[in-house]
Amino acid sequence: MATPEKIEPGLLDRVSTMVENLVKVTTTKAPIGKTPRQAIWTLNKATLYRYTPVKPPEERHRVPLLLIFALMNKSSILDLRPGNSFVEYMVNKGYDLYLLDWGVPGPEDAHLALEDYVLEYIPRAVRKLKQVSGSDTFNLLGWCIGAMLSTLYASLRGHSEGLKSLILLTAPLDFTDKEQISLARMTEERYFDVDRVLQAFGNMPAGLIDYGAKMLKPVENFVGGYVRLLDNLDNSKVVDSWHAMNTWVNDAIPLAGGAYRQFIVDFYRGNKLMNGTLAIRGENVDLNNLRASLLNVIAEDDHITPPCQSARLLDKVGSPDKQELRVPGGHIGVMAGSGASKGTWPKVESWIAARSD
Amino acid sequence: MSEAIKGFDPIKLMREARDSGLDAWAKLMLRLTGSHEYQRVQGMISKPTLLAIALYRKAAESAMSEVLAQLNMPSREDVLALSTRLTHIEMAIDDLGAGLEQLRRSVGGARPQRTSNRERDGGSETRGVSTPEA
Repeated sequence: MATPEKIEPGLLDRVSTMVENLVKVTTTKAPIGKTPRQAIWTLNKATLYRYTPVKPPEERHRVPLLLIFALMNKSSILDLRPGNSFVEYMVNKGYDLYLLDWGVPGPEDAHLALEDYVLEYIPRAVRKLKQVSGSDTFNLLGWCIGAMLSTLYASLRGHSEGLKSLILLTAPLDFTDKEQISLARMTEERYFDVDRVLQAFGNMPAGLIDYGAKMLKPVENFVGGYVRLLDNLDNSKVVDSWHAMNTWVNDAIPLAGGAYRQFIVDFYRGNKLMNGTLAIRGENVDLNNLRASLLNVIAEDDHITPPCQSARLLDKVGSPDKQELRVPGGHIGVMAGSGASKGTWPKVESWIAARSD
Repeated sequence: MSEAIKGFDPIKLMREARDSGLDAWAKLMLRLTGSHEYQRVQGMISKPTLLAIALYRKAAESAMSEVLAQLNMPSREDVLALSTRLTHIEMAIDDLGAGLEQLRRSVGGARPQRTSNRERDGGSETRGVSTPEA
C-alpha cells in the first residue's frame, strides 16, 4: 500500500480539482449570456436588447447590427462566456449591437406562425432599433432558423425598411437534396405526423426537438461529450468550456406549434422557398427581392444544416453584392467553438465592417 | 527496467481502444438511425403514443372546462384568447408610440426623455422598459 511520502507530487491537488469540477458540472449551471445589455423593447415573449457599447460614439460603426437566433434554443449561445462570446467580440470591435430574443413560448403561443415572427415581431423590433440608434439603415445577422426568418424578412421587407446587409449563418433554406438532410428523412410524411404531435402537445416540446437533433449523431451526443469531459476533468479551462456549452445545449425551448408546422410542411417537405411558391400572409416570398449585401456562411461539417441547404442561395437572390464563406466546423461550433474567435468571427466581422460606415 | 517497459502506458492503450470502439459504434448508429427502417419503426412507436397523449389531453381539458364552468371561472380557451388579445393590444400600443414619435419628429419637437443612457454609455438615447434582464 502506498504511504503518503510515496504519492506522486501534485496528485492530491489533481484529484481535488477533478472532484470539484465534477461537482460543478453536475450540480450547477454555467453563467452564460453575461455581456451587459439593456432591454429596450418587448412584445409578448420577445425582447430586443441593446448591448452596452464599450467604445465612444466616434469610434463606433455607424450602422447598427441586429442579431437573430433560432426559435428553439436560447440566444445565449451568441454570448456564451467572457473570452468566448461573439457578442463581446463585436461590442469590443465598436458595433452598436442589438439582439432580438424570442423568449420561451407558452401554450398561449401555439398559434404563432412564421408570418407573426417575420411581419409583426421583426419589423417592430427594427423600428425600435432605428429609433434608438438614430440610423435609417441596419445590418442583420441570422443564425440557423434565425437565418431562415431573416431571409424571409429581407425578401419581404428588407428593401423598404433600410436593411443594408444580411449575414446568414448555417441557414436551412434549400430542401432539394433530402437524402443529404437527415432531419428531412426524420420528418418525412410517411414516418412523422406533425399534426398528431401538435394535437398532443400544442407546441413542439423542447425535449423532442433536442432528442431529434441528438439522434442525428447519437453516440457523439449521448456518450462522446461525457467521455471528453472525463478525459479532461483535471483541466479547468476545458471543463468550464464544456460546462458552458452543456448548460446551453440542455436549455432548449419549445417551438411554437404554428411555426413548427410550417417548417415541416412548407420547408422540409414542400421546399417552397426555393421553388418560389412560399407565401407569407398572401405575399409571395421572392428571393430575387433580397437586394441587401449578402454573406452566406456555410459550416462544412454541419450535420444539422448540411452545406447543400444554402449552397444555391447566391444564385437565387437579387443582391448585387453577395459572397459565400465556407468555414470548417459544425452547426454550433462554427460560431461558438474554441476556434471560432480566430476563424469565423474575424472573417464575418471584416465583411460586416466594410458595410457598416 | 528496460526502456520498452518504462514507456508502457496501459491507460493510454485503454483510451485508444475505447476511442476506437466508440468510433465504430458511432458509425454503426449513424447508419442505423439514418436508415428508413429506423424511421419507420420510430413512426410506428410514436403514432399510438401521440394519439394516447392527444386523447388524454382532450379528455382532461373537457373535464376541466366543465369544472371551471361550474365554478364560474374562465376556461383555458378564455385565458389563451385573453393572452392573444393582450399581444394585439401590445402591438397597437407599440404602433401608436412609433406613430407619435414620427409625428413629434416631423414637427421638430423635442422628445421627452424617460430614461437617458447617453451619459452612461456615451451613445444614443435608449428608453428602458420594465422587463427584467433575462
